[in-house]
Amino acid sequence: MLNRDDAIKICETVLAHAKAAGAEDASVSLSDSVESHARLADNRVTTSGRADDIDITATVWVGKRRGATTVNDSSAAALQQLANDAVQIARLSPVQREYVPTLGPLQYGDDRGYAAATANLDLAARAKSLQAVLDSCRAQKVTGAGFHTTRVSATAAATANGNRRYFRSTRADFSVTARTPDGTGSGYFSGDHFDISRLDVPHIATQAINKAITSRQPQPIEPGNYPVILEPQAVADLIGTLTGAFDARSAEEGRSAFSARDGKTRLGEQMFNDRINLYSDPANPVLPAAPVTDEGIPAARLSLIKGGVIENFRYTRYWAEQKKRDATPGPVNYILDSTQPPTPIDEMIKGMQRGLLISRFWYVRLVDPRTLVLTGLTRDGLWWIENGQVKNPVRNLRFNQSVLGMLAPRNVEAIGTPQRLAPYVVPALRLGSFTFTSVSDAI
Amino acid sequence: MSPVSRREFVFTGGALIAATCIPEWAEAFQPNASDDARRAEVADAALQQAAKLGASYADIRVNRYRRESISTREQQVQSVQRSTSYGFGIRVLVNGAWGFAASNVVEPGAARAAAAQAIDIARANAILATRKVTLADADKVVTTWTSSFKKDPFEVPLETKIAFLLKLNQTALVPRVSFVTSQLQFADEQKYFASSEGSRIVQRLIRTYPQFATTSTNRDSGDFQTRAVVDRAKLIGYEYAEDYPWFADAEEAGHAVVEKLTAKAVEPGRYDIVVDPSQLFLAIHESCGHSTELDRSLGYEANSAGTSFIKPTDAGKLRFGTDIVNLVGDRTQEGGLATTGYDDEGVKADRWHLVKDGMFVDWQTTRELAPLVGQNRSHGCLHCDSWSSVPFPRMPNVSLQPATKEVSLTDLFADVKRGLYVVGRGVSSIDQQRYNFQFGGAVIREIRDGKLGAMVKDAAYQSRTPDFWASCDAIGGPSTYRLWGTAADGKGEPGQTNQVSHGCPPARFRNITVINTAAVL
Repeated sequence: MLNRDDAIKICETVLAHAKAAGAEDASVSLSDSVESHARLADNRVTTSGRADDIDITATVWVGKRRGATTVNDSSAAALQQLANDAVQIARLSPVQREYVPTLGPLQYGDDRGYAAATANLDLAARAKSLQAVLDSCRAQKVTGAGFHTTRVSATAAATANGNRRYFRSTRADFSVTARTPDGTGSGYFSGDHFDISRLDVPHIATQAINKAITSRQPQPIEPGNYPVILEPQAVADLIGTLTGAFDARSAEEGRSAFSARDGKTRLGEQMFNDRINLYSDPANPVLPAAPVTDEGIPAARLSLIKGGVIENFRYTRYWAEQKKRDATPGPVNYILDSTQPPTPIDEMIKGMQRGLLISRFWYVRLVDPRTLVLTGLTRDGLWWIENGQVKNPVRNLRFNQSVLGMLAPRNVEAIGTPQRLAPYVVPALRLGSFTFTSVSDAI
Repeated sequence: MSPVSRREFVFTGGALIAATCIPEWAEAFQPNASDDARRAEVADAALQQAAKLGASYADIRVNRYRRESISTREQQVQSVQRSTSYGFGIRVLVNGAWGFAASNVVEPGAARAAAAQAIDIARANAILATRKVTLADADKVVTTWTSSFKKDPFEVPLETKIAFLLKLNQTALVPRVSFVTSQLQFADEQKYFASSEGSRIVQRLIRTYPQFATTSTNRDSGDFQTRAVVDRAKLIGYEYAEDYPWFADAEEAGHAVVEKLTAKAVEPGRYDIVVDPSQLFLAIHESCGHSTELDRSLGYEANSAGTSFIKPTDAGKLRFGTDIVNLVGDRTQEGGLATTGYDDEGVKADRWHLVKDGMFVDWQTTRELAPLVGQNRSHGCLHCDSWSSVPFPRMPNVSLQPATKEVSLTDLFADVKRGLYVVGRGVSSIDQQRYNFQFGGAVIREIRDGKLGAMVKDAAYQSRTPDFWASCDAIGGPSTYRLWGTAADGKGEPGQTNQVSHGCPPARFRNITVINTAAVL
């Protein structure tokens, strides 16, 4: 893994080549990574491997004409070629109307999402922990499948205007799907952390196995509108569409769920339940994020929804310049929480007369960008709740549901404790109504 | 924009070039004897090291990829991006367990080190193995194969490609179209495969991928609609941009999105639907392409993409659809994105029936999977999306065969009293065993008493795979057959992206559930 000096030196070498070739502005970024994984299925390891790679990208401007190239070779000849190719493309390109000069020197916070234990993966220890997972599956008479992966990366960037930055990060993920031999029960659970020593592999396996066993022999119910409890995984499966809608340009150009009549937007509107906050925070203790946005802006807390009101959109550097305001310092992660104390899932169940407990969703797609209607299916654990108790597993259902409607002022009944499911920190939610349109035979 | 030819560029930039020796990007990437020799040396070093350390089988892919992407909106270029990636991945079998290691440092020393890493990983996995991997037989192959193309897109001047996109945008910007975005993407894969069984295969594949989308907004009401034209990528050269009538498609897409903004909402209910190849390809992909992957049926994808409603013992026993339904797996199909000479473990490209006369008859297999259903040869479905990715089973081109006699689109409409004609890709979603699905369309029109009628919006059809294909009562003839495909089919962990095509004529399906997606808020 490249250290700061070596990584910045590579970037500066490309910058120098680009300048010599005629670039008037330039930005060079680099990502050096090692990924290791082990894949489980049929209660054994099916594939396992590691991949080392480096990506170096040069983006240059000659008379506001832009060119960009990427290579995965850091040899001296390759760096020269990279810069020259980018300049060549720029010279052949038309003027980029949305050119914004590259960033100058900026101060960034510390990177908090790095752990040496993850970077220096112990293969024997991983094999031992996976052996324990497979032993648990066999002991509980389920068929286990899963995925264990670690990634360590160093990213660096340098611009012709003097910006220099370097960060390291690590990440470890583990997920398990357990299926019962009769094919009628299936459970899934996942977790992630930047520090592999805090990735609770046994807990993840136990949760998946329990869900498989308790979801056996599901009974069909009629599709329709039901009250639901979404576990955090289910919320994470839906929330990406909402977070993606906060782009200011789309809203202001009239092609987003947050566009309004007469050319206006819905900024400042109480669109969501008044307990809901949605924000980005690189210093979040549960999910620390890189202290930099993908455009190189130093990351800082950014509130998107506060008390159910849309407080900010995301402004890129170009669109911010057009609108004569600052680019937003995020988002770099997404935290959904409540203005009120959280309600545990057990309490949510006790307070429900009739409805559904949902583990996760699958194949979620945006049906209508105007209303953020999504479709998808429940998967790996769906139960009927009656009179405050989990009564029986039910067959999977397809939903067609608007995220805006789901989080609307009168639809959110309870909000749980947020859980880390990178890039989200999301709670369980109890909702008054959720729309299902057909039954699925899939287990 | 004033176009600048390559010759002019070299002339005008001559002083700078002389100073910095800028090589032509396209030419610098051309294969040469020195690189070929180096690649073979690296592969041999890795395979020898793997054998020395105890591998019963090993193979290596030393691959170089280059890609170009040009993005525009309205009358401006947003970005021109080129990338290259070069490296190797070695796969070893030790005591019946796999190990894999990959590196971007294409040198004999790095190759030997990666072989040793792969061996260590395989040994660690062998302890956890409850079943040893055995491979179906494969021929030793030493050959070269190149996909069919007339014009190398990387040799076409950038200004020509930009001019194509800006003209496309201008054509699509008919009155009341607010936005147009378009992209041209090209891929060039130069692959070298070597195995411990003696195979040495050099392949080159060129893909061309144009796509665009039109959007119409009503700023007074806050309403908007989009019509995307995507998924027409092919294994073909730049001649695709020149020969296909893209500008007619662009103009039609412009008019369609304007009409869509004021179209009436669909009335939910049961309809007979005629599905155009531009949408049916996706239904084939999701309901048949993925359900006939043997690795899914065996549970290998249970933690990710899911399993299949088809059981490993179902071949020859399970009715998939009506007896007019014939679906073939085909890695030899002209222009198909999954077409190749040899798969990523050196098995020759194959063509075979998955569904014959409505019966499910065979699987998509690899050398590891074929013996698990009693077959001694693979159908050649192993694939990896990069030198750094573990090769695993991926979908071949899966295509619906046309009727033997000529059946036109008008014939398909003829006895439909109340129906819908679904064109282009809308939203798609299917469950993890490939039963329950929902598909939208880019443009959907009514069929009334055999005639095509007004456009409707907010429509999506839902069905269950066996019910859907059991409701297929007519399929278009040979002249209605079209090849569509997707350049981004995800599967696996770590996730890999595959390119795959599906050929089909339009087909008719009776009594299908249609919902109004705007009425479910």
